[in-house]
Amino acid sequence: MSGGLDGDRVLLKRLRAGDQSAWRELIDRFEGRLHAYVDARVRDRTACEDIVQETLLGFHHALPHFADDKPIENYLFRIAAHKRMDHMRQVGRRQRFSGSLTTSSGGEWDIVASTQRGASSIVRNSEQQRIEEAAIVAVLTEQIARWRERGDWRKLECVELLFVRGWTNKRVAETLGMSEQQVANFKYDTIEMLRKRVGGYRPVDGPLT
Amino acid sequence: MAREFTSAELETYIDEELPAEEMAAIESEVRAKPELQARIAEILERQNQGAHSIAAIWRRHRLSCLSRGQLGSYLLGTLSAEEAGYVDFHVRTVGCAFCGANLEDLQRQQVERERAAAASGSSGSPLDPAVQARRQRYFQSSAGYLSLRKGT
Repeated sequence: MSGGLDGDRVLLKRLRAGDQSAWRELIDRFEGRLHAYVDARVRDRTACEDIVQETLLGFHHALPHFADDKPIENYLFRIAAHKRMDHMRQVGRRQRFSGSLTTSSGGEWDIVASTQRGASSIVRNSEQQRIEEAAIVAVLTEQIARWRERGDWRKLECVELLFVRGWTNKRVAETLGMSEQQVANFKYDTIEMLRKRVGGYRPVDGPLT
Repeated sequence: MAREFTSAELETYIDEELPAEEMAAIESEVRAKPELQARIAEILERQNQGAHSIAAIWRRHRLSCLSRGQLGSYLLGTLSAEEAGYVDFHVRTVGCAFCGANLEDLQRQQVERERAAAASGSSGSPLDPAVQARRQRYFQSSAGYLSLRKGT
């Protein structure tokens, strides 16, 4: 993941103090990558610039609540994804569903379905999610670092396609030139590792079904 | 034959984190197939009930993303063959939109630096005037908000 958390903290401090040179620095540092991210899907110069501008302003509005231990880049990309999605809906290039993106109090972007639920239930789930998510992140971060150190690139690639892209064993095996059995073994090992190290974790999607 | 989509693929589509061509392909399938729309509604509802998916957590925290430094080294050709192979894989096969955007931005900067060096022996700003103007517009239309913050 992108480093530079210390640099981000210094920049945040200056931004919160109203330092205009810090705002210019933020634009200089992040505008190019945001523009590339939005343009990849939108392909309309004016709309793209509007979305990047709205992203920067969205970040500005979120400054008082932004957690200092989170990379600025991730947060900006999240806002940009949300704005880009809104734009795609407005121009009819994206279907509307019965769910919407919204911000939680923690400042992260969450998907919230339209079904109304009791506040206590939302808080309970949100708290459980946070704890479980932190544990999963810790375990996977450590494992990915280990694979990289050992040069186990093929294993990392296999697990990434299985879990992140949700590809079938067959497709992963064909893409990476492995046997389906090897792919199945990597999948099993990863799920077992998560089960053992993240108490009570039960995967809910693709890889197990 | 119509392609089957896994839950993780649909989830990534919901989050707008697939490569642009795949986003467009899934979008057209979703429009045509009510059963896909129902599956998406189901995923949204499941997320609302607190269900986790490794895919969402992995993507949200960008667990396998590359740093700007690593992507820069990739462009300079200073990574090992294995590491460079992984960058290719992550950006092109996985289609990470965030690392893809970073890579494109770094490539653009590299081209600008080379062009500036070739044109003037590296004097002056290497920044493309169009990019410079764009950034100035962003700054001018948003710096006022920062002054307001300072004043509050």
